[in-house]
Amino acid sequence: MINLQKIAEELVQYAKKQGADQVQINAGRNSNFNVQVREGEIEELKEAGSTGISLKIIKDEKVADAYSSDLSEDTLRKLVDNAVKRAQYTSKDPNSKLPELEKLTVSPESLKLYDESVEAEPPENKIAVSKQLEKILLSDKRVKVSLGSGYGTSYGEKVVVNSNGFSNSYKYSSASCYVYGQAGEDQNNMFEDGWSDTARAIGKLDPPEKIAKTAIERVVRLIGAKKIKSQNVPIVFDNTMASSLLRFLASCLYGSSIYTKRSFLAGKIGEKIAGDNITVIDDGTLPARPGSRPFDSEGVPTRKNSIIENGVLKNYLLDSYSANKLNMKSTGNASGTTNFYIQPGSTPQEDIIKSVEKGLFLTKTIGQGTVPTSGDISKGAFGLWIENGRLTYPVAEITFSGNLGDALKNIETIGDDLDPRRSITSPTLLVNGLSISGL
Amino acid sequence: MNGIRRRDFLRGAAAGAGVVALAGAGSQLVSGCSAGGGEAFSEFVPFSLEEMKKLLDVGLSKGGDFSELYFEYRISGSIGMEEDIVKSSSENISLGAGFRVVKGSQIGYGYTNEMTFDSVKQAALSAAAIASSSGKGTSADLTVETPKHKLYDMALPLVKQDVKSKIELIKSAYDAAKNYDPRIVKTSSSIYDELQYVTIANSEGLLVSDVRPQTRLGVSATAEENDKRNTGYWSEGGRVGMNFFNKEKDPVQIGKRAAEEAIILLGAKNPPVGEQIVVLSKDQSGVMIHEAVGHPLEADGNWKKQSIMHDKLGQMVANEIVTIYDDATISDYRGSLNVDDEGTPTENVPLIEKGKLVGYLNDRIGAKQLNHKMNGHGRRESFRHFPIPRMNNTILAKGDKDPEEIIASVPKGFYAISYQGGMVDNTGKFTFSVNTGYMIENGKLTYPVKNATLIGTNIQILKEVDMIGNDTGFFLGTCGKEGQSVPVTCGTPTLRIRKMTVGGSV
Repeated sequence: MINLQKIAEELVQYAKKQGADQVQINAGRNSNFNVQVREGEIEELKEAGSTGISLKIIKDEKVADAYSSDLSEDTLRKLVDNAVKRAQYTSKDPNSKLPELEKLTVSPESLKLYDESVEAEPPENKIAVSKQLEKILLSDKRVKVSLGSGYGTSYGEKVVVNSNGFSNSYKYSSASCYVYGQAGEDQNNMFEDGWSDTARAIGKLDPPEKIAKTAIERVVRLIGAKKIKSQNVPIVFDNTMASSLLRFLASCLYGSSIYTKRSFLAGKIGEKIAGDNITVIDDGTLPARPGSRPFDSEGVPTRKNSIIENGVLKNYLLDSYSANKLNMKSTGNASGTTNFYIQPGSTPQEDIIKSVEKGLFLTKTIGQGTVPTSGDISKGAFGLWIENGRLTYPVAEITFSGNLGDALKNIETIGDDLDPRRSITSPTLLVNGLSISGL
Repeated sequence: MNGIRRRDFLRGAAAGAGVVALAGAGSQLVSGCSAGGGEAFSEFVPFSLEEMKKLLDVGLSKGGDFSELYFEYRISGSIGMEEDIVKSSSENISLGAGFRVVKGSQIGYGYTNEMTFDSVKQAALSAAAIASSSGKGTSADLTVETPKHKLYDMALPLVKQDVKSKIELIKSAYDAAKNYDPRIVKTSSSIYDELQYVTIANSEGLLVSDVRPQTRLGVSATAEENDKRNTGYWSEGGRVGMNFFNKEKDPVQIGKRAAEEAIILLGAKNPPVGEQIVVLSKDQSGVMIHEAVGHPLEADGNWKKQSIMHDKLGQMVANEIVTIYDDATISDYRGSLNVDDEGTPTENVPLIEKGKLVGYLNDRIGAKQLNHKMNGHGRRESFRHFPIPRMNNTILAKGDKDPEEIIASVPKGFYAISYQGGMVDNTGKFTFSVNTGYMIENGKLTYPVKNATLIGTNIQILKEVDMIGNDTGFFLGTCGKEGQSVPVTCGTPTLRIRKMTVGGSV
């Protein structure tokens, strides 16, 4: 097996020799296996390994990037030569510089990002689990069509080397499985949903029975869903939907959206942007969690960052360039969010539903409809109608709309059901001030 | 993974794009690769015909019915401008081979980025594992075919132009947006270009190569007034080269359109909600056709009986004024291809004729399962993916109404102009997200609106289309399905929908 770290270190030296002032190399290797099953048969079987290298060079405060899946020395050197030449055409920008060397806060090993079980799991087991997932799904007669079930494993190594003396790597692994189906009584009015699970180790995946049962529950409860009339009511976001709201929040916190003013949160550090009950954290140092990593793609150690504290905006998600632009410090988020979550409350989901006289329990959305510049949201919605604290009939073909800035100030209750199996994750939320459009 | 079941359509750069580059400053990495000529197969493929045949035989060694090699070399570049300076430039090389084995409708797939016989053979063995007998099928001798279409502008591919000339393009687009109005506070512009060399060889003896340029120049502009901020976007491009920007689409106009949208949005309100008459403007509304018609008519969802359209061939599924086709053979268009990613010549495929469903978008497996002809719609994102049925340029045919007359016919309704994108699931339920629109009152456009989502079920909405304009416009997009992104366009005239739910704030 080729030694990526060694190739990266040599390439840094080569680039320096060719005139680069600063160099950063990212290299990676990945092996993956995926099987999809439909109607009891294997439908797709995919297995492959691949490698890739990307590089950034800075010369006279001018930057140039490159990437290659061809790791031959000739190609890599030529890419460096081209990048050094090409850098003269970009503009001088003192904010383009490598981050200073910092000590890691956690060792790659202590994060438990890699588990041997993933590499060792025989394909037959993965196929068997896939078949079992679908079999359980279809054993419920209300489910009419399988959209397939599957199992995937992925493991590999990530390497970061730069000319400031950073050279490190870590191994990672993940296993996941899923099952999706359609339910309904009328061929022209079917509904689809399903469930999936992901873990760093084979043994940490939920049992197939549990995954398939959740999938069944999520899809059959939509059968017969109807449109309702347009109105303003409280919306209970189940924890998957609350997580997608949180994903939109993350996209409004990236440094590149802040310094370009393409976020409604630009310039709001220190301001109250959410209710007192809202605390949002990004923490890359939690062992075995899906978003954990010891350092980001620039070699900046990850850490626990408070983003919103009791409603006050404390920090953004920054790489070193946007940090320099904003006169702040990199938060170790050059590779995006790590484990990004809302601090859970203590109310169980069913108590939140009970507290609502009339409203929507939102379980699925469709469409883009999020605008970071303004914070506006508008999406197609599916869910269950709440009357007097009880779930009644399913609803579909409606939309919900509003503004994330307003929503953050109108979260009435926070659930206790934070799902640590997802990297961007929120408990169930009861949100006021959103509109529903239907008939 | 995670059973990505939805299909979406995004304007702007999709995931993966945007990080790419230019060869301009230097020379090309792999020499040769002379474009489109009639050469046997591209020079980046380091195997002889005999070696390829041997590999195809390995693919059949476990009892597969069909094996296929896909070689790809893609060189791409991007340059980006922001805050008045040229901020980024990059160059990307993607080189690799994918190997597919088909057994019935089952797919085995392997790929590698090491172009050695042993590595590709390993990929062939991974793919062969989809079958489990000890077949001894042999592949046919390979015969070189030349694509009959020549649909791309290969005169001055941008990948081969110098960096300076590309910087001039994005700078003039940038300046046009920035200087459009004092309320424009932030602008960015970027250009992306690629040249993709593909060679496909299969066990039926096909050997075909294609060299495909792709480029796109996009501008994003943010306007600010009274603490309100909005962003507008516009882009132009296709399978074209430098001449496109010099002769057809002036970068200045691209910049102005982005700025214009941002300024309009400053005065935009949220639309009144609920069911109403909806008029879709010509420029970008093809996204509705893409979601409501295109995806549900891709072969896979139909032979698997997952799509709402699977049992409707020959039936009326739309108002009789509606005719829809997907034409991958329009010169220079972003979605066009000489051959698809299975090596099949592309076609103009009728989908709905005067309201009647007449065809599906077929890849090799789908055609066989449906007992239809292949029609050149098997596409893949890269050598890391196996082909699946996809759209190319999906178009609703022109009608006979003057667009003015359509707007004038509406007492009260919603006029949609630009979109963030759309999404549909197999059941035909779709949304599209409107970035900019206007309200119509008494046959006239009144105030601008934003932040609206239109939602419906495809067979209902297609029957509600009751007026079609004699104009037409195209939307450049990137379509995502099962984790694979491919470039597409979609086109429509101005059209009226009698009744559709508009979502916004009450």
